Amino acid sequence: MSGLVVTDLAVIARDGARPVDGVSFSLRPGVPLTLLGETGSGKTLVAQAVMGTLAPDLRATGSIRFEGRELIGLAGRERRAFWGRRIALLPQEPWLALDPTMRAARQVKEVFALVRGLGQREAAERTRAALRAVGLEGAERAFPFQLSGGMAQRLAFAATAASEAALLIADEPTKGLDAALRDGVALLLGAVAASRRMLLTITHDVSVARRLGGEVAIMLEGRIVEHGPAEAVLAAPRHDYARRLVAAEPAAWPKRRHPPPGPVVLAGRRLAKRYGPRTLFANLSLAVHAGETVAVTGPSGSGKTTLGNVLLGLVHADAGTLSRAPGVARVRFQKLWQDPPAAFARGVPLGRLIEDLARRHGIARAPIEALLARLRLSPGLLGRSAEAISGGELQRFALARALLLDPVFLFADEPTSRLDPITQQETIALLADTAAERGLALLLVTHDADIAARVAARRLDVAAGEVRMVA
Amino acid sequence: MSRALGLVLLGAVALFALAGPVVIAADPAAQDLSAILHPPSPQHPLGTDHLGRDLAARLAHGTRLSLGLAILSVLSAAVPGVLLGLAAAASGGLVDRALASLADATMALPGLLLVLLVAGLAPGKVWPLWLGLSAALWVQYFRLTRATAAVLLASPEVEASRLLGFGPAYILRRHLWPRLAPPLAALAAFGVAGAVMAIGALGFIGIGLRPPMAEWGLMMTELLPHYHDAPWALAWPSALLFLTVLGLQLLAGARR
Repeated sequence: MSGLVVTDLAVIARDGARPVDGVSFSLRPGVPLTLLGETGSGKTLVAQAVMGTLAPDLRATGSIRFEGRELIGLAGRERRAFWGRRIALLPQEPWLALDPTMRAARQVKEVFALVRGLGQREAAERTRAALRAVGLEGAERAFPFQLSGGMAQRLAFAATAASEAALLIADEPTKGLDAALRDGVALLLGAVAASRRMLLTITHDVSVARRLGGEVAIMLEGRIVEHGPAEAVLAAPRHDYARRLVAAEPAAWPKRRHPPPGPVVLAGRRLAKRYGPRTLFANLSLAVHAGETVAVTGPSGSGKTTLGNVLLGLVHADAGTLSRAPGVARVRFQKLWQDPPAAFARGVPLGRLIEDLARRHGIARAPIEALLARLRLSPGLLGRSAEAISGGELQRFALARALLLDPVFLFADEPTSRLDPITQQETIALLADTAAERGLALLLVTHDADIAARVAARRLDVAAGEVRMVA
Repeated sequence: MSRALGLVLLGAVALFALAGPVVIAADPAAQDLSAILHPPSPQHPLGTDHLGRDLAARLAHGTRLSLGLAILSVLSAAVPGVLLGLAAAASGGLVDRALASLADATMALPGLLLVLLVAGLAPGKVWPLWLGLSAALWVQYFRLTRATAAVLLASPEVEASRLLGFGPAYILRRHLWPRLAPPLAALAAFGVAGAVMAIGALGFIGIGLRPPMAEWGLMMTELLPHYHDAPWALAWPSALLFLTVLGLQLLAGARR
């Protein structure tokens, strides 16, 4: 009776709402299962129901049989006995889950010594082997803050995997990671499945599901809408939502046609910026033309955002010159932020912020209403504040706010990295369409090489410090 | 709930301070040595002290003085503290470093010692007490404002408003003030409580205000030797001080 069998699982809130309903699947050792879905589809609640960590105002009904035992209805103490021994959870954003005051090796060794009950010598030996397996030899005595994001991710993985629990649950393991780190995590998870353990991965990233293989279940509004072998489902999805989700993967986007670029609106010559002892870029020259989209790519921390801020004049360059198109007002150089709610005054209705802007710049009511309608923003949203609407809507709002000033240049700093895939596709398409319509120069920072390749006419790789044409 | 209770307590004390001296006809300084340490009676609703003075009248005047002085001190500490904090956060660099050093230097002196130093300039007067308390209290408002404003001024939301062409007044009104006001209000409530205690303590050890002025701490000092003969007399100023501080703490705590 090995394996995990979930039958007719529902998660019920106190008010009777069912954020998860009628979910059934089974998980066998060696065949990974990936739950795909957008934020709010209930996929994390499924993982929490299996783990036994649902919030107190939620309860699970149905059946979760794990290695022949029914988990639903077990007391908290009995559920906890499984944690780290039979069921392990790979945390989201591992740099927050690691103990900041403990050296790398000890975080792993504790699992061997305290959870698995091995002797000190054996635990130390196994720890060395585990760290070597994830490529962390030499980092044994480092503290988490001395590790890069990818190393922290691998350390958290080593600590979780050390339990050798029969079932590993990975909840959004690639959240906030750039493409290279994402593929590294998928590789590690694939090794777990290959070692004939059970792997349940929760993600909204289609490419992770593709890499892991095995089975895929696509969730929408608390239900599984499509379920089957990964290859078949991802190659030829049948359900309408599944089709849209798979098509939203940047690699599957249609390539955009690029209109001939207009005059230069903003140019930097021989720009240089250091951050502490590190040189972010030096001797970098770039001209952005009206109506073109330039993508800025590079690994995290390579200075992509800083470059955009230098071009906008928000950050001073250490060297080099900046020239704007003559006679163009400063407010026509605008920006979109990575985390939409952070760019709005907290707790203020969006309608009032738009009014503030209209009064400041003497903008009439009619064009505002037309623009909001064009960006599919319903007037009902105006009464709400930034925290109370979805990320996709808010990013469109941020775009509307910038467009009201008739910009010639827009710096979009990872504008969709916190959005779901379908919303991401819609938002990027809207941005690119707007830029083409208005002859707007768009500087798009992204860590996703696929997005850069599909959308931009030219690409600037900051790590390399040079502008490259996309083939 | 606790907020409502705090408001009721403070309202009652404030009403006593405002209306008491008007309603109670007795002169708080008029002595009647033939009627000392009398228990409460229709003639003296709260009794009399060791010099036969009407305790109700003294208490009402004392409340007005203690609470009024405390609120004034907090206001005159908060206004420059907040303004300097905003200036430090907005200008950064040398101005910020100079103001922060001034605040650190002030904090290096214990608050009460600072009050003692200034109070020594003119013993028994009200203004040095007020000046000393303000000089000791402004640092808190400065630090809170500077820390909060510095983070906000570097945030994307303020960057967005600047790029959209808004000026400093708008940023202050839309971004800074809504985030500063709640903690400042809590700090001010705690500050009034602290100032009331400090004024009382200074009066009690005979350094603050001088007799025959009516003030809570001073009244406690004067009445302490007569505790065995008239325990109720000492209880009145103590109870008022306790209720005021409790009310302010409830109010400030609920706001967080």
